[in-house]
Amino acid sequence: MRWLLRLLRRRALDQDLDRELRAHLDMMTDDLIRSGLSPAEAGRQARLALGGVEQVKEASRDVRGTRFLEDFLRDTLYALRSLRRSPGFTVAAILTLAVGIGANTAVWSVLDALVWRALPLERSDELYALRHGPPSDEDPNYLFSFLRMGRLQATLPGSVRLAAMSSAGRLYLATGERSEPVSAQLVSGNWFQLLGVGASRGRVLNEGDDDEVQARPVVVLSDAGWARLFGRDPGVVGTVLRLNGALVTVAGIAEPGFDGLTVGQPVDLWTPLWLQSQVRFIGNSSARNADTEKPWLPQDGVSWLTLVTRAPAGVREQAAARLATRYRTELLEEYAQADSVERIRGLRERLQLEPLARGFSPLRAQFGDPLLVLMVSVGLVLLIACANLASLRIARGAARGQEVAVRVALGARPGRLFRQALTESLTLAALGAVVSPLVAWLGGSGLLRAASSGSRPIPLALALDLRVLGFAFLLAPATGVLVGLAPALRAARAAPFGAAATGGRVAARALHRLPLGRLLVISQIALSLVLVAAAGLFVRTLHNFSRVDPGYASEEVVEARIEPRAAGYRYEELPGLHRRLLDAVGAVPGVRSVGLANLGLATTATRIGGYRVPGITRGPDWNGQGQENYVTPGYFATVGMVLLRGREFTDADRNGGPRVSVVSQAFAKHFWGSDDVVGRRFGYEQPTFEVVGVVRDARVNAIKQEPPRLVFHPLSQGPQEYALSVEARIAGPPAEAVRAIRAAIARVEPNLPLREVVPVADLLERGLSRERLLARLAGVFSAMALLLAAIGLYGVVAYSVSQRTNEMGIRLALGAAPGAVWRMVLRDSLGMVVIGLGVGLLLWLPVQGLVRSLVFGLEPGDPATLTVAVLLLTVVGILAASLPAWRAARVDPAKALRGP
Amino acid sequence: MTPDPLVKPDLLQGTLDMLVLRTVADEALHGYAIAQRIRLLSGDRLAIPQGSLYPSLRRLENQALLKGEWRTAPSGRDARVYRVTAKGRRRLDAELHQWRELSLAIGLVLGTG
Repeated sequence: MRWLLRLLRRRALDQDLDRELRAHLDMMTDDLIRSGLSPAEAGRQARLALGGVEQVKEASRDVRGTRFLEDFLRDTLYALRSLRRSPGFTVAAILTLAVGIGANTAVWSVLDALVWRALPLERSDELYALRHGPPSDEDPNYLFSFLRMGRLQATLPGSVRLAAMSSAGRLYLATGERSEPVSAQLVSGNWFQLLGVGASRGRVLNEGDDDEVQARPVVVLSDAGWARLFGRDPGVVGTVLRLNGALVTVAGIAEPGFDGLTVGQPVDLWTPLWLQSQVRFIGNSSARNADTEKPWLPQDGVSWLTLVTRAPAGVREQAAARLATRYRTELLEEYAQADSVERIRGLRERLQLEPLARGFSPLRAQFGDPLLVLMVSVGLVLLIACANLASLRIARGAARGQEVAVRVALGARPGRLFRQALTESLTLAALGAVVSPLVAWLGGSGLLRAASSGSRPIPLALALDLRVLGFAFLLAPATGVLVGLAPALRAARAAPFGAAATGGRVAARALHRLPLGRLLVISQIALSLVLVAAAGLFVRTLHNFSRVDPGYASEEVVEARIEPRAAGYRYEELPGLHRRLLDAVGAVPGVRSVGLANLGLATTATRIGGYRVPGITRGPDWNGQGQENYVTPGYFATVGMVLLRGREFTDADRNGGPRVSVVSQAFAKHFWGSDDVVGRRFGYEQPTFEVVGVVRDARVNAIKQEPPRLVFHPLSQGPQEYALSVEARIAGPPAEAVRAIRAAIARVEPNLPLREVVPVADLLERGLSRERLLARLAGVFSAMALLLAAIGLYGVVAYSVSQRTNEMGIRLALGAAPGAVWRMVLRDSLGMVVIGLGVGLLLWLPVQGLVRSLVFGLEPGDPATLTVAVLLLTVVGILAASLPAWRAARVDPAKALRGP
Repeated sequence: MTPDPLVKPDLLQGTLDMLVLRTVADEALHGYAIAQRIRLLSGDRLAIPQGSLYPSLRRLENQALLKGEWRTAPSGRDARVYRVTAKGRRRLDAELHQWRELSLAIGLVLGTG
């Protein structure tokens, strides 16, 4: 550690050495005088003998072994001093870098949380989910029946266990008088143990909880759910609550940080599988020869469980093989009776183990690509900002040419100058990085809000942890080098005498064209073009979507989403409930008509049935699916779906009467090749339904989704169908209608949970959150890029003009018209812009592929968008260059010639 | 005046360190005196490049082979005087031994031993 001491005492050591060398010289001089030399000659000889005092000092310092650190400290202090001398530049540079690094960190933190981060579980790389379905990636199926889980488990070695979980469903938890919607997941008793999740209070579920006969019904709260619902009240463990009417005891609280296996869909509580029928749980499920109204556990026809397993590398292969074999056997049994076409289709299915380390994420599928695009964009913005700072520093460096030249003359080595110039940029970047986490944190949560639909933010934990900060602090030196490399190289190339001898003029004149600066401006313009074009595409995509006709009157329909199933209404009570709802909402002032539907418009819930039509031959690739809904008479007129043929449902379509259906054009064309199908028959197995009407195609699920094949049945002919949606056609402002409808429903059915009352237009908007996010952020980023590029161009042109004042003066004195000078400067800048645009168009070619899947209604190479982007940049370029050009034309020749 | 020095400024670093160490082994000396002494002892054959002397002294001091102190000389002038530490003495013994072996070996080969 002695070197550290030497480092700290380096000033005292330097003084010591100085004193010692002086003593040496004195003694030698004395000796030489005694030998007969004049004092002046003696001093000279002594200095000659010793060599340069400064060189000796440098050599002695080198010996200290702390040279590198000393230089670094000195360079940093020098950098700080020189930055303090130009506070304007420094503050602007630090802010630019802070925003640049912070914005990158923000996008990165969201991308990381959504796409890359592993679940907070031990050895998460050993976790797998069982996936079946067609071998291709489309349409993966994660659902299994409970009985099939048992059969699969039986083929596995004892060390590999399967655990099951349902999708997260919406249940109502009553605590005292309050009843709150919660996100609940049904899991097998070994689920927590398999994942390695413990309890912070009480206990988690264990295999004993699977015993339907012996075990008491319990729930385990997630830490976040505990905080949200109970304010972290420790007394809640052991209390009895009512979950959708069933009495359950709180067994414990799960470890903090774990909220389920689906990223962005936190679960509030977990409860054993067998409570499915007691809490009337409905989640993702598929039924085949089954009655979904009966308990699901004993029915092999209800697939509703996602199976997860922990398989270390050694046993994974074997487990996967055994599962696949067993699954194959099941398929063979299952399709033994089916006709050949169905069997061919069924036997294509495979069972695979899918890595689960990063969890499930529907958000990942939706926002992964857009975020990647945004990451690239914000990275480009940072690049452009770096280029700006670099050219600013080059200009400043040129202005300091004299200082540098003097230092070169005094013996500063190129390497030393290079290091010093780079240190200044790194210091800037470090200062920027220190401020950036604030920007990152604000930006990250802002980004989530921008990506969220409506007022509900995406529940994604954005930790400003080491991973995120690490990214910022890795990015900082990289930007420092980007900013500093060009100026540092220039500094290292400085010539010793030129600038010093002529007071800076020669060097400055040689630099006036600033080739490096021009190169930077050209690349800025090229990158800006890419960003502006991308933003243009996204804005137009959003616009194109907003112009799409959904096929119903989304602006005039308000949808009330209700949950009669959770409230415990029995089937025989449903007709009365439906009648009361229709009457109450129909009586609301401003409501013109009202209809009920099993599934609402623009909700994420869909329901698919497989249909057959007599006389249609099907190949194995034939898709006989249609999306079903049950609606009341007046529904079509209320939501504004256009009846093309036949009739709507009427009160005459009664339960027990002939089964009737209304289908959409797409459905009719798919099955019969025509929409003239009133009177045709179709059904699940037998042709039980008769088509009485055909409606125009409608994008009932989302604007982005092509109109599905729709089948409507009368609600009256589905006695076990709940109406989950009340649709009201309104006249006047929606806000009032929303309030009035909410009040009307609460008045007639105080116990009916009302999920939300919302204009359908708002629901459709939610479905465009991805497009809106892209359009907004790409717009912001491209505006930043444009501004930075304009500043960069302005800076370079202004600098070049200021260096060419002499030349301009001569031109003007010799009779050049001011207009000619103006044009000359402008032509020069436009040259850079044109080259930049050309490079930008070339860059656009590879970018097209990245955005192809994110645009709608136009091609990534859309000529109109590119033309507008090119024009925009040209105009901005002309504007940025105009001011310095105008100044050049106004140079006073006499003043210019006399020199600065 | 004086014969041309045999040793040029590129005197091997290790050799210079050894000479300096040997010179101050008998008596504590300041830098100028060390240079004079080496020149004298070598019969004017070895002229220490004075520019290398001080880095060498610093190096030896950093390795704790020498210890430097400020003293006031009889002439009234302050001078930094160096003396060998115990560690320096051990190193010197080792170096001398090695040097003798080496010069003997070289002498034998060259046929001058």
